[in-house]
Amino acid sequence: MKTLLRRELGALWQNPWQLALVSYLPILAMLALWWLFSAALPRQLPVAMVDLDNSSLSRELGRHIAASPVISPISFASLPQAEDAMNRAEVYALVVVPHGFSRDLKTGAQPTVDVRYNGQFLLVGKLLAANLQQAIADAMKPLAYSKQLAHGANPHQAHINIAPIATQTTALFNRNNNYVGFLVPPVLIALWQLTAMLVFANALNRELEPSARCDSVGLLPRLGAKLLCYMPLLMLQGLFIHALLFGYLKLPVAASPLWLIPAMLALLLAVFLIVAVIFLLMQESARVVSFCTALFAPAFAFMGVTFPVQDMPAAAQYWRLLMPSSHYIDSHIALVSYGVSGMELLGKSFTFMPFLLLLLPIALLARKGLKEAQS
Amino acid sequence: MTLLRLILEELKAIVADKAIAVTLFGGVLFYALLYPLPYLNQVPTEQALVVVDLDNTSLSRELIRHADASPKIRVARAAGSVAEAQHYIASGDFHGLLVIPAGFKRDLLLGKGATLSYGGDASYFLVYSALVEGLVTAGMDAARSVQLLGMLSRGESFAGASLSLLPMHLNAVPAYNPGLGYTPYVVPGLFLLILHQTLLIGTGILGAGQWRKAGYWQQVSSLELLIGRIAAFGLIYAALGAFYMGWCYHWYGVSVQAGLGDIAAFIVPFYLATAAAGVAASCLFRRRDMPTQVMLLASMPILFVSGFVWPLSLIPEPLVMAAQTIPAVPAIFGMLKLNQLGTGFDGVFSEWLTLWLLALVYLALAWWGLVVRQREVNQLSPPKQG
Repeated sequence: MKTLLRRELGALWQNPWQLALVSYLPILAMLALWWLFSAALPRQLPVAMVDLDNSSLSRELGRHIAASPVISPISFASLPQAEDAMNRAEVYALVVVPHGFSRDLKTGAQPTVDVRYNGQFLLVGKLLAANLQQAIADAMKPLAYSKQLAHGANPHQAHINIAPIATQTTALFNRNNNYVGFLVPPVLIALWQLTAMLVFANALNRELEPSARCDSVGLLPRLGAKLLCYMPLLMLQGLFIHALLFGYLKLPVAASPLWLIPAMLALLLAVFLIVAVIFLLMQESARVVSFCTALFAPAFAFMGVTFPVQDMPAAAQYWRLLMPSSHYIDSHIALVSYGVSGMELLGKSFTFMPFLLLLLPIALLARKGLKEAQS
Repeated sequence: MTLLRLILEELKAIVADKAIAVTLFGGVLFYALLYPLPYLNQVPTEQALVVVDLDNTSLSRELIRHADASPKIRVARAAGSVAEAQHYIASGDFHGLLVIPAGFKRDLLLGKGATLSYGGDASYFLVYSALVEGLVTAGMDAARSVQLLGMLSRGESFAGASLSLLPMHLNAVPAYNPGLGYTPYVVPGLFLLILHQTLLIGTGILGAGQWRKAGYWQQVSSLELLIGRIAAFGLIYAALGAFYMGWCYHWYGVSVQAGLGDIAAFIVPFYLATAAAGVAASCLFRRRDMPTQVMLLASMPILFVSGFVWPLSLIPEPLVMAAQTIPAVPAIFGMLKLNQLGTGFDGVFSEWLTLWLLALVYLALAWWGLVVRQREVNQLSPPKQG
């Protein structure tokens, strides 16, 4: 085994691309992705304001909207101009205060304020819709309040009449709705899984090169040596993710992230088993990489972080189970958000068990050996 | 060799290469089905909610029924205390919490006001926003009926009471993607990225496989080879693009606002720039399994920097500037404006120019790369006359 391991490390040293993959390249990509999302909280998003009334009341409404940290209002003189800016994606939402807004409010004619938000940019659109509605409702409160007073309610009573039920909304985990805490961990894990897939695929593909043929040792020990050689290196990258998230960025974590190590090892093992089966079936380097890519590239969508798992169609839920990253992310969120105990987490790792069934085809295919060398 | 003959040779080489075929035809078809698969149900519905009803009166039960009636929420479990509810949520099967305080109904009827607490699992943003939207609506409905009761009991007319509660209408509607579906949100950008990446990989593998061997690619000039290669891939991608942006958009309910002429005018420089970039990049590789690896690692950063997932104004400026050199980035944003937001062609003119500029730069680089690589192959084995 020692000679086999030495052979792997020697091959790694000879191959600049593989060396980059196990060291700096994924780290750079991870840092770039974190940088991309580093704003963490969407703020100052451009919104078109069309104030056709231009009264003290409509300006008051505008001030309430401008006070929201998420919204950065831009005044437009006419509706067509604002619509044009919306179509060009220069603003993400549009607020129209109609002619006679102030007069209608005072005479009780219930004017209509139009808010249009860009549903094509789902994330931004929904966020702005909620914040705009909140800001406009807040702006209307003083008015409703003075009406209550005019109706003869005392100040305290007037307050309660406006809003008899106060609400208190709490984000249970990820308290301040931080996008770094929400999006960056699964993105990095997906990237890490892709790296692991490529590293294993390259390591296995080396067996196809004529220079690497060594028929004196069976195929299975050689596969084992590759796993043993690359697992620790890939594990270091995984630990780098945790160091970045919990150490440097200080994302809240409910229990010790060290408990995730078994799940990370299981992920790596599962990825290796999948790649090994594909390698033994295809036995041509470009095809192995292409096929593995097709399989693993969409893994992020199936993690169920951006879109809830229980709302996926059944086919997607089954496909999800084939992706090691989906199993891992469940453990990750359970630990980070819910703080489940280490023992429970170990229990969750058992969902990786079915991947061990892949050992069967691997053993069968390995016995048949590799085809004669081809370029 | 005539250009037509060259294009045929290229097409033959593409189809005969299993790795390219897996990527171009298998990959593009497979991704068209697989990527949107999780989002087919479009919107998150019926999120499981734990209710802690410490009041247990007719009003609190009505509130719970209101919440359950919301399409976004399913009241899945009752808990005796907040701690118990938190335990359920930690199990991962429930994502929200509603706490109705003791004395809820009494306080409201006495005119003292009461506070409802909502909690949502913000580990999942879409789940969180669905829960909060559903709960806020249910809470507002309950508040309104209490308000109305109070005012009517004070002798106000029904119309007057509703007016002083709602002095104005707020008409908040989504423009574009009116159903707020997840597929129409993700598919347009994602599919363009798939076309981009597979085109880069296809040209990359084809090139990387040829630089160490003799073949038809030696018998033509670099410029001819470049034109022939781009024409061959252009033909294939005209078909794949029509499949994606025609049939698949229709299938997935993505809005299509632009006419065929505008789309064609916009996609030509995109394909040209991408294919040229692919040929240029292929000159950097000697191993056939390399292009896929490089492009795969670049995919996620390109997707997130293209401006439809995460607002461009929040992405650090240097990243946005650097990303403009990747054809997919101006193409995704431009096509989104053109085809989904329905801005006219003048609205995407700057992206269109960027793509033409990229096309020119990459064509020059590709031509230079081919000259160098052809010279190398010729030194190994001089071209046969034929």
